[in-house]
Amino acid sequence: MIKTDIFKYGFKSMFPVIPGMIPFGLIMGTVGITSGLSLPETMGLNFLVFGGASQLVAVDLMTKNTSSYLIIFTGIIINLRFILYSAANSVFLKECSFLFKLMGAYLLTDQSYAVTSAKETELRSNTERIHFYFGCGLCMFVFWNLSVLLGCLFGNIVPSSLSLDFAVPLSFMALTIPALKSKSYYFIAIQSLVLSILFINLPFNLGLIVTASLGIFSSYLFIKFKRKI
Amino acid sequence: MNSYYLWSSIIPLSIGTFLIRSSFIFLSDKFKLNDEIKLLFSYIPASVLPALLGPMVYFHKGEIDFFNYHERLIAFLFGCIICFYTKNIFLTIIAGLLGLYFLRLQFL
Repeated sequence: MIKTDIFKYGFKSMFPVIPGMIPFGLIMGTVGITSGLSLPETMGLNFLVFGGASQLVAVDLMTKNTSSYLIIFTGIIINLRFILYSAANSVFLKECSFLFKLMGAYLLTDQSYAVTSAKETELRSNTERIHFYFGCGLCMFVFWNLSVLLGCLFGNIVPSSLSLDFAVPLSFMALTIPALKSKSYYFIAIQSLVLSILFINLPFNLGLIVTASLGIFSSYLFIKFKRKI
Repeated sequence: MNSYYLWSSIIPLSIGTFLIRSSFIFLSDKFKLNDEIKLLFSYIPASVLPALLGPMVYFHKGEIDFFNYHERLIAFLFGCIICFYTKNIFLTIIAGLLGLYFLRLQFL
């Protein structure tokens, strides 16, 4: 296949995951506006961070007047998973020029990583993987920003009785369950679920950080003692 | 919202996020992730994402007193089952929302 075909193939390969992302984007836009951010502020935040879960939590913490340090720290913990994707995609992205490495890093998302790794064996060379990956990344970038913009403009029109905000925890769950590869992952997920509810009243909205840190600590113990439960 | 507060939170967060994304793309020749660290990173979604959604679902006050106003918990569990068998984000969201509408129709 020629380069542009592979790029288009990458773009199209994202279509099955885009419908799951759109409600999430719409909610991001709606929540931004209803939390008192202007349209340029919501879109600016969206463009700069380009990480849905961390943005949503950042806006939520801002409405509770949480300190900036904690907002930054919480967001970074949520986005730490990108290290894994960065390591996985560096195998082919390291062959790019500096500018394309920068763009490739920016376009790294759960979805673009998942789709590229699913098609990895189908692509024959690292050059093909690069073109495919940029197709995926661009698709995600376009539809994510469009859906957030639509949420900003029309979010208030959708009747609240449709409970579209319920799509947010549902989409987080739909990102989690496929990542649970064995019983130990289920254990960690359930531990985090329970602790996040128990720690809801910790001061300074520290509950999320404490829960996530304990989850990573338990994971470390699982690996350390190689307990394959 | 105070614009200094907004940007002094968002700009460092976006720089931090970008550095995380860049990490191995730029440094993979100099550093290698050992298998234990890779394995540890693979637990991050399981540690973080449930902690985000737990309070959203559990502390939401619904409308149906039959479920003690926790009807979203039931609809959420239904979504979990659909997700477990389909592994499809879109179907999961649709199933959860339809589950919620169904509970309202039946019990409200």
